[in-house]
Amino acid sequence: MRISTGTFYNESVASMNQLQVNIAQTTQQLATGRKILSPADDPAAAARAAELTQIDSANTQFGSNRIAATNVLSLADGILQSVTNLILDAKDVSTAATNGLLDAAARKSMAIDIQGRLEELIGLANSTDGTGNFIFAGAQGKVKPFADTGTGVVYQGDDVQRKVQAATGRQIPITDSGADIFMRVRNGNGTFNVAPGTANAGDSTIKQGVVTDAALYDGHDYQIHFTSANTYDINDVTTGLPVLAGNAYVSGQAISFNGIQFEIKGTPALNDTFDVTPSQNQSIFDTLTKLVATLSAPAVAVSGPTNASYRQGLSDAFNSLEQGLNVVLGTRATMGARLRELDALNVTGDDLGTQYKATLSKIQDTDYNKAISDLTQQQMVLTAAQKSFSQVSKMSLFDYL
Amino acid sequence: MAGIYGIGVSALKAAQAGIAATTHNIANANTPGYSRQEIMQTAELPQNTGAGYFGQGANVTSVLRRYDQFLGVQVLEAQTQTSNLTAQFDLAQQVSNLFGDANGGLTPALQDFFSSVNTVSNAPESIAARQTMIGSGQSLVNRLDTFDQRLSQIRDSLNGRMTSSVASINSYAKQIAALNVNIVELQAKTPGQAPNDLLDQRDLLISQLSQEIRVTTVSQPEGSVDVFIGNGQSLVVGRTVSSLHTVTSTTDPTALDVAYLNNGNSAKIQQSQLQGGNLGAYLDFRQNILDPAVNSLGRIAIGLAETFNQQHQQGLDLKGALGTAFFSSAAPRTTSASGNLGTGALTATISDASALTARDYSVQFDGTNYNIFDTTSNALVQSFTEADLTAGQVVTGTGITLQLTGSASIGDSFLVRPTADAAKGMALNITDPSKIAAASPIRSNAPIANKGSGVIGAATVDTTAVPLLPLNVNLQNAVTITFIDATHFNVDDATLGPLAVNSVYDPAVGATLSFNGWTAKLTGVPSANDTFTIQNNINASSDGTNVLKMAELQTANTMVNGTTSYQGAYGQLISQVGTQTRELDVTSKAQSSMLAQVTKAQQSTSGVNLDEEAANLLKYQQAYQAAAKAMAISQSMFDSLLQLGG
Repeated sequence: MRISTGTFYNESVASMNQLQVNIAQTTQQLATGRKILSPADDPAAAARAAELTQIDSANTQFGSNRIAATNVLSLADGILQSVTNLILDAKDVSTAATNGLLDAAARKSMAIDIQGRLEELIGLANSTDGTGNFIFAGAQGKVKPFADTGTGVVYQGDDVQRKVQAATGRQIPITDSGADIFMRVRNGNGTFNVAPGTANAGDSTIKQGVVTDAALYDGHDYQIHFTSANTYDINDVTTGLPVLAGNAYVSGQAISFNGIQFEIKGTPALNDTFDVTPSQNQSIFDTLTKLVATLSAPAVAVSGPTNASYRQGLSDAFNSLEQGLNVVLGTRATMGARLRELDALNVTGDDLGTQYKATLSKIQDTDYNKAISDLTQQQMVLTAAQKSFSQVSKMSLFDYL
Repeated sequence: MAGIYGIGVSALKAAQAGIAATTHNIANANTPGYSRQEIMQTAELPQNTGAGYFGQGANVTSVLRRYDQFLGVQVLEAQTQTSNLTAQFDLAQQVSNLFGDANGGLTPALQDFFSSVNTVSNAPESIAARQTMIGSGQSLVNRLDTFDQRLSQIRDSLNGRMTSSVASINSYAKQIAALNVNIVELQAKTPGQAPNDLLDQRDLLISQLSQEIRVTTVSQPEGSVDVFIGNGQSLVVGRTVSSLHTVTSTTDPTALDVAYLNNGNSAKIQQSQLQGGNLGAYLDFRQNILDPAVNSLGRIAIGLAETFNQQHQQGLDLKGALGTAFFSSAAPRTTSASGNLGTGALTATISDASALTARDYSVQFDGTNYNIFDTTSNALVQSFTEADLTAGQVVTGTGITLQLTGSASIGDSFLVRPTADAAKGMALNITDPSKIAAASPIRSNAPIANKGSGVIGAATVDTTAVPLLPLNVNLQNAVTITFIDATHFNVDDATLGPLAVNSVYDPAVGATLSFNGWTAKLTGVPSANDTFTIQNNINASSDGTNVLKMAELQTANTMVNGTTSYQGAYGQLISQVGTQTRELDVTSKAQSSMLAQVTKAQQSTSGVNLDEEAANLLKYQQAYQAAAKAMAISQSMFDSLLQLGG
């Protein structure tokens, strides 16, 4: 085959050009640390890299979301810790106040103590986060959730739970409505409540009971009516029909009917009544207010109606505080569970982040060993091409003419 | 004696001719398109004597051009392909680099935006977080706009390139015709002898022409060459030249089309027939890479704007007003062909952003029906009668609704580009941070005084409503659900009055209530007289319910018929452009090496090898010296004769 002189030059230059392009590409890979300099280098990998970058960044974003969630939950938990202590203290007071040797002054000082506690509790329930948002106001962060209207503390927030996106497909609630924590505390035993009639003349108290058979309990209002000091009737107030008439009364003996059971102690008078109603919400604030009222009662005799009412007040307060404590502890348990889940998600999130970054690096980062070895090889080939070109181009028959 | 002189002179002449041809070759060793020349040397007719035929010396009959027609055609084809693929690759690379840039691509802008949406969901009341969301929303819009500008620049530069390519084609055609004239004249003067250098020049022009566009040539016996383009449109016939020119596309005012100019009359050419070469590359690139990329990008812009707006409009802003559109987006572009005779005009609107394709559609009126064709596949998508189309029709599988006003004449056509303007036309609609609708428009509430254990879940906008937007006007009405007993309830709207009376409730399974465009779930056992309320969610500064849903859109499969996310659609665009570019890279390299091979083969016939020419110089020099020696011998022989006489 003939080789035209022009072809020799053109081909040599073209192949040296190509070698230089390769070297430039490898140099760029080394300089940028990226294997894929343009999607055309590896279209599938480029698209995958863009997708992974997004997934990784979303994962990082979820991490910051979890930090925000942890901060809010920890703050709320800290406040509820104080609320727990406050309720325990109030319970202690209500127990201590049952000591029959207390005089009016001692009760008064206890009442002042509890009044202080009530105000402290309102303060705690109106806690704000670092940026001035009320924590227990639901979604109404700028509205002070608990206000003392003089006739009781009312809730002005809403029932919305704020949530954060803690992971793909997982939203974790980070707040709880103040109404659920402080306001929606069931009185009585949570199902029904018992209370002495306000005009009772005897010296008797009633103890919160239990539901013995939920299927039989119908949620009606009932009244125990003493027809003498030793006998009582049970009437269904809702239907107006008697349930059991002429029962013999023994102090402290369980009274059971329609799936419920409770005890009356002491010596009731004729026409004394005790009411059984379904439980209602009674806020912790109400409970404390009532406890203050009980403790502030001006005259408490050694026995008789005033004493019975005093003891009943303390026992109800104790019972309601216990109910409130359960609600607060239940909320804290839920918060703890959420915090634990956040911790678990943090671990998974970190693992995922490491994996995403490793995969991303595999897809798009330069393999330095390979790139450097490529570069060396390409340099060698280019040097060889240049040398052979300069040698061969020197050969001409004209030199010998 | 005279014979020897004669032979000697003929030998001298032949050797001189040989040296002249060789020197000409050496002189043109670097001339593009030059084919090496050789003299055709033959022996003179011998003289018959009784003792046999005596040779009469040598004769140069012609100068030959070393040229292989077959290889020439192969080079032409390889050249037109190579310049086509290389030009497309260079252009495609610009697009590919644009999208693939790790820092400048759409991915980081999308990430930043959704990251800021998440931040708002963590602190809905924070004006700073909201301001960041608006800022990064603006960045996202700007990024899309930047992309569109870059693509528009590429499109503008295409128009410039097409114009100059057409100018080159016209110039080459003229020069070829001029050479045709010369060659025919010269060949007529000396029949049988070819004007080699002019042939080379003409072949070079044809080869340069083929780099601009694919041509076919037909050689005529009298020496001229006819050149055709496309489907046999003549560019050069003998001495007659037709020309091309660029005209504004009838359907796309931003694009140029190539038309045929014959005797001063412009005639349309099917653009798809103009293949090969640079011009073919520009047209192919525009149709196969640039337009689809613009459309795909626009589809992401529209998809993002529509879905995000839809969610945003289901929320409540800090001031207690319902959300407005967060982004504004451009309507589909419809153009009537410039030659339309009727009064018909089309308008297109987006009916379903997730069903949008990255295709363009042409609508053609055949006298009875308006036929909608996919311009990429040329497949018929759907046909409508005029009455139907005037009423407005959803075009199946395209996500757009078309509506006709006026009426078209037979043969009228329209181009519909649903997403072509979207990346450019997207804008941020909200500048006031408090207008970000982060909260739910409604909330449910249960009074503390309720005695039962009934619980109402969060009230949410009923997303099964068709159409979803605008939201039900009564959505935020205060509605009270009052239980008559544990198993029956009434629903009362403070404005509209009773919505339901004595509805049955099963405490064991609960109930999902849907009124006024909201839904809420009731569970538990309510007592008689327990109430639940649904109301306007005013003052809910810390409610991030809606912004949380907006944040979820980042990974939701809202695009391409619900098969992928925004990022996924962008990934598809990257891989589509990347694949096309890679393909062009590979094929253009293969084609280049093919061209190198064919050129090498062609040059091995036609090219000048200087060593060979040096050898030829020696050969002819020696022949010359030998002939001169023969003349000298003849001289001395004559001298000898003269001495005899003296």
